[in-house]
Amino acid sequence: MSEILIRALWILGGVLFFLSIYIIANKALRETTERRVAWMRGELEPKVLEYLNGKGERLGAVLPPLGRTERRVVEEVLLDNGRFLKGNARDRITAACEDLGYVRDRTRQLKSSRWWRRAEAAEKLGTMKSPKATAELIALMRDEMPEVRMRAARALGQLETRSSVKPLIGTLQDPNRWSALRIADILAGMGPEAADELVESFATLPAKARVAAVDCLGRVKSHRAAGLLIKLLSDPDRDLRARAAHSLGLIGDPNFTPDLQRALKDPAWPVRAMAAKALGKLGRPEAVAPLFDLLKDREWWVRINAAEGLRSMGDRGLAALVNAIDSEDRYARHAAVATLEGAGVLDQYVEKLVSADEQEREAALTLIRKIVAAERTDHLMQAASRHAQEKVREQLARLLAPGDVKVQVKA
Amino acid sequence: MSHPKILVADDDSTIRRFIVTLLADRGYEIHEAVDGEQAFKVAESVKPDLMLLDLIMPYRDGFDVLYDLKHDPATSEIPIIIMSVKDREEEIVKGLNMGAEDYVVKPFNSLELVARVRKILERENRRAG
Repeated sequence: MSEILIRALWILGGVLFFLSIYIIANKALRETTERRVAWMRGELEPKVLEYLNGKGERLGAVLPPLGRTERRVVEEVLLDNGRFLKGNARDRITAACEDLGYVRDRTRQLKSSRWWRRAEAAEKLGTMKSPKATAELIALMRDEMPEVRMRAARALGQLETRSSVKPLIGTLQDPNRWSALRIADILAGMGPEAADELVESFATLPAKARVAAVDCLGRVKSHRAAGLLIKLLSDPDRDLRARAAHSLGLIGDPNFTPDLQRALKDPAWPVRAMAAKALGKLGRPEAVAPLFDLLKDREWWVRINAAEGLRSMGDRGLAALVNAIDSEDRYARHAAVATLEGAGVLDQYVEKLVSADEQEREAALTLIRKIVAAERTDHLMQAASRHAQEKVREQLARLLAPGDVKVQVKA
Repeated sequence: MSHPKILVADDDSTIRRFIVTLLADRGYEIHEAVDGEQAFKVAESVKPDLMLLDLIMPYRDGFDVLYDLKHDPATSEIPIIIMSVKDREEEIVKGLNMGAEDYVVKPFNSLELVARVRKILERENRRAG
């Protein structure tokens, strides 16, 4: 019995010993390989960078003959630099990837039986930005693996060619296989090319995809989409109306002001809220009065967006918010105070309580008394106990004491 | 005549090496910093004629470095070009308001970067008379 136990212990010890040797050898081999790759990178990278900075017609001509590992290192250097470059140097990366056969090799890899190889190849082809891979990447969008399909879509987006836009928009027709939001993200990154194609295809898109498409048009900031977006402000679908208003704000043309002012009267509150936000971005003075009126809206989101819109409009908008503090409407008062607090305007006035300038002091006193009268004193209470300057704390304590209020607000 | 000194502060070694090669090829004397802490120290000791400053860096971000450099009489005159990523325009505005001279958005065009560097250095030269 004990002999069996001893033998078992020997076997176990032997297994553990050989396992340790294997782990140590494996780690040593990996570290050696990493050091060798780092050394190769140190040798090859300067030549690649010189080429990217305009030296030589072809990268192949300035490099020594490359072994398998060296080829991998050069590809890695090219793709690493592709992350943050555009213009001439970026074009040279694409040319080098085509010239050295990386595009060809990765295109072949798109047919690998292993899905992660296909996904990796698609991603790398996207960074290479070679239009030569367009057809194969479009074909890959029918892959059975969702991850591979999405990487192929992202790669097509990086190619930024007209021929890669159409298949991406085509995916919006199939909401069961594709995430409309992720595709819209990719399209938005492609710029005006994608916007033109989206405007043309808009009528053929299913309802779910239309909202994503409208968002995308706003993010691209395409003026050519303005006609469609203005038309959509009257669409029966309230989500589309709201997103159209938002996108018009992102494009930011002040000429949209009359259309967006009409949208402030929309029966659906999300449309009113988005139109208010958009008008704030456009900054036209004629929008101040309608936004001021919207501070009385019964929907909290609309009131806050109207107040935010006014805040975005600079001095005119801020003056309107200050006026709203003694509005007869309780909702308007609260929205105005909340926005002035959030924008740091209230803190600026608190500082002016001890200003050497009498007019500034008076303006600060008037505003703070209005806020006290509007019964929105949480922020002022905090300032009264925590402000760095003793004089400011004393002033605030006096103003917040019952009986100080000298502004009458109608209930 | 000595070569203008440029400090490149970016924690991304690939970007740093690219910019160093790009500018060294054009005859500038290049110094490097790999994080905000080092950027401030090198700027203080080298007194570069221009600094390229990435806004997102470990230890101390670019804003922090920019603030300290602009509030130190010994370094406040160093012109600074901030580097930011696309879709973060608000960072650029903040950096310019804090005293940065110019900005570059990643991904950037290398020739445009060289042009911006040259323009600022020429202007500083004219100013120095």
